[in-house]
Amino acid sequence: MQFGIFFEMSTPRPWGGDVERQVWHNALEQARVADELGFDWVWAVEHHFLEEYSHCSAPEVVLAAVAAQTTRIRVGHGAVVCVPEINHPIRVAERAAALDIVSGGRLDFGTARSSTWTELGGFHADPEQTKQTWDEFVRVLPRMWADGPLAYEGQCFSMPERNVLPKPLQKPHPPMWVTVTSPGTELDAAERGLGCLGVAAAGYAEQERRTREYHRRIQSCDPVSSVVNDQVTTLNFLYCHEDPAEAARTGMGMVGLFGLANSHLLWTREAYPTSAYQSLGNLSPGAGADRSGPADPHGIPEGIVVGDPDRIAAVIGRWESMGLTGINFLLNAQEVVPQERVLASMRLFASEVMPRFKREPASVGAR
Amino acid sequence: MLSGTAEVAELAARACEMASFDAKAVTLAGVQVLQAVFEMDWAARQAVLPPGLHPTNPPIVTFLAWQVPDSPWGSFTMAQARAGCRSGVRPRGFVAGAVNDNPAAAAALAGGWGLPGVAGQVRLQRWYDAVELEVVVGTATALRLVASRPVPLRLGDVQYTVTTSLALTPRGLRLVQSEPEYAMDRVERVQPRLESFDPSAWGEPALAPTTPVAATVGTGAVTLPPLRYVSRPEVSAFEGTEPVR
Repeated sequence: MQFGIFFEMSTPRPWGGDVERQVWHNALEQARVADELGFDWVWAVEHHFLEEYSHCSAPEVVLAAVAAQTTRIRVGHGAVVCVPEINHPIRVAERAAALDIVSGGRLDFGTARSSTWTELGGFHADPEQTKQTWDEFVRVLPRMWADGPLAYEGQCFSMPERNVLPKPLQKPHPPMWVTVTSPGTELDAAERGLGCLGVAAAGYAEQERRTREYHRRIQSCDPVSSVVNDQVTTLNFLYCHEDPAEAARTGMGMVGLFGLANSHLLWTREAYPTSAYQSLGNLSPGAGADRSGPADPHGIPEGIVVGDPDRIAAVIGRWESMGLTGINFLLNAQEVVPQERVLASMRLFASEVMPRFKREPASVGAR
Repeated sequence: MLSGTAEVAELAARACEMASFDAKAVTLAGVQVLQAVFEMDWAARQAVLPPGLHPTNPPIVTFLAWQVPDSPWGSFTMAQARAGCRSGVRPRGFVAGAVNDNPAAAAALAGGWGLPGVAGQVRLQRWYDAVELEVVVGTATALRLVASRPVPLRLGDVQYTVTTSLALTPRGLRLVQSEPEYAMDRVERVQPRLESFDPSAWGEPALAPTTPVAATVGTGAVTLPPLRYVSRPEVSAFEGTEPVR
């Protein structure tokens, strides 16, 4: 089981003063502490225009800073929006390769297509086309990272023969992932040999069904490159405290605030009806968890990684039993949890929970 | 978290009146429904909402029209201009202005479900490749909208947002949550274009649609169910929501 931390750069109003600097400063400190404590990943999302919810529009810059300030932890580009109006595929390949070099070969590369009208509309992108452009990106990027020049004629872009430089340090390229929000996207990942970077927590039963199907499908995948990444992760919150009542009070406050900001986004489907976006987007992590299941005595819904170490270990054990290989954690929302308490939660988790799980390096293998 | 900044007392001037919350469900058959979404001027995004509602990012205005061939109050066509918003965590369309061409239907919708509607002419015209909505109040053209280039959608692809509107109720001034249920037979997405818009004719001078997003046009049955919730317009839905039973 692997554990990561996941940055949205959620930034509360008012934005005067240095609130954004403080959010970035805190995140970088969390990354350094995560590196020391044995966490496996630092992921940073790519979002645009999402006031308060996420100000992380330049994750490659954030991750370059993380790489420079850490020595061991992997840096997760989670995820690059594979829509040409937002990111040109050549620039995506270049930036990712540079980040892999700067980090000493520690890059994990996530792909996505955006869920909100706020973002797609902001770049005048056509929601009907994003699935196709994402598919084109994930197939051409490994070819750009391979040695030698490439000429390409595609649907969403083309290029004459050029050598895309630099080349990533990891060969043939960093592990590739797909962010999974809508049900069914995990199958798109499996069929292409890509890791499943869950960002919408399903309930236990639904997660188990989807993970089982992912593992079944990836056995017979037609991979987009010579390597297959068969890891499956989910997204959750983390607040760990010795006192379960305090854990519930602070942790669920964070969960609620994140969910509130999440609900105020303008999802593509709400503004632009299309079968290309079947769900409302990335549900607030935990919002999809089975709220009808038993909450603990402190009112924490099952599946949410909030509580004392024993409860958290039990919850993670349940997720692990479904075939998940990792969990990424949101540590804060709009800075509602003071930084010293975030760090204390991470340290308690690392000392009391992490050792209870078998830790193995990711299996990203040639095929 | 942004909230509305409109003065509730000013909004109250255009609230409709409800004597009770006892309206029984009514199903309207063969209704032609147009829903057109435009982005809205950011400067107005808080100004058109009461403090109990939160604007979306980006702010949007939705024009919703029903052409109803038959009802307990006769045939009618109505149009609403709604500001997209959230009530707590729920998506809502706050009625900033509405027009109905049948006074009896307007009175029934207002008294039963808190759906306002001033008298005016509303014309929803469908052709094979386009649809046009024109709303006239007095001598003012409140709206002329044309939507073209239809693309068939699956019925489940369309989200009709629940309406919230301000009404003087037996409990006082409340946001009334009306939850029409749409059972559509056919729906298409069309690309909308505003040809004319007069916010004052809708009664909300701050309403300012800008970039067109998308529209849908379809036909089916619309059921107005009994009301379930109201909320106090001056406070958040977490604090001010009240079940009506």
